[in-house]
Amino acid sequence: MDLKTAIFYFLATILVLASVRVITARNPVHAVLFLVLAFFTASGLWLLLQAEFLAISLVMVYVGAVMVLFLFVVMMLDINIARLRQGFWTYLPLGAAIGLLMLAEMALVLGGRYFWLEAMPEPAAPAAGYSNTKELGRLLFTDYVYPFELASVILLVAIIAAVMLTRRIRADKIHQNPREQIAVQRNDRIRIISMPSEKE
Amino acid sequence: MIMLENYFPVLVFVLVGIVFGCAPIVLGWLVGPRRPYAEKNSAYECGFEAFEDARMKFDVRYYLIAIIFILFDLEIAFLFPWASIFKEIVSSESMKMFGFIEMLVFLGILLLGFIFAWAKGALDWE
Repeated sequence: MDLKTAIFYFLATILVLASVRVITARNPVHAVLFLVLAFFTASGLWLLLQAEFLAISLVMVYVGAVMVLFLFVVMMLDINIARLRQGFWTYLPLGAAIGLLMLAEMALVLGGRYFWLEAMPEPAAPAAGYSNTKELGRLLFTDYVYPFELASVILLVAIIAAVMLTRRIRADKIHQNPREQIAVQRNDRIRIISMPSEKE
Repeated sequence: MIMLENYFPVLVFVLVGIVFGCAPIVLGWLVGPRRPYAEKNSAYECGFEAFEDARMKFDVRYYLIAIIFILFDLEIAFLFPWASIFKEIVSSESMKMFGFIEMLVFLGILLLGFIFAWAKGALDWE
């Protein structure tokens, strides 16, 4: 077993253990932290496959942004564990049926035909000076230009949806308009009237 | 095997980071005095009993900022492969302007989203 295989098994073991802990951890915050560990080790595996750009974007996008959002949500929701576990047995039949259906579907897609060792021969060793990022860019900006532009439209839809879903006008909002404050003239605030002086 | 050697500095960096984080904790645990008792271990909130749980509902705008951050983070992620082959694209005859314009279209569509979010006040806190 050479060094590369050893590193692969080391990372794969951590990945599997962390993934199991994600769904078995009682505390949701711990589950999220185990998911972060799983993403880190997955990016290590991608580095072994020489997919450097994907590995770094996994860390940057998922660990840096998505998991931070998850952690915020989990920490800020007031989750009552006892109440969450209350309906476990009533929901179990439906949940188990859906889970088995999804398992069967995945088995149909992933089973035998496409993911055998014979069906997946080892790719040719890349030439010296091979850069995964450059290869990705070459494909993305020549053959897959249309999906690439579609990605920006999907991101645009996500921005608009997020803004519209969370937008609300607060009735109790107290605010100042600085422009109005600066533009105020003397005549807006005081009125000078002439009147005869009075004597006691 | 050549490739793994390239990542040796990264490995050293990760190890130094782990040691730097763990060493103060271990040192404090080894060297510091520990004489706990019930009062010392109890939660302390300005001298009286804790009112409520630390977990509470949070303003939804906080998540809005986070979601917008994720979306523009993704946009930036698309720029890296483009930047790494930019010289190659502009030096080839057939792709000369195409490689430049396709990224402008991509950024332009997302600029619309940015303007929308700004105009709707999603970037203001209050």
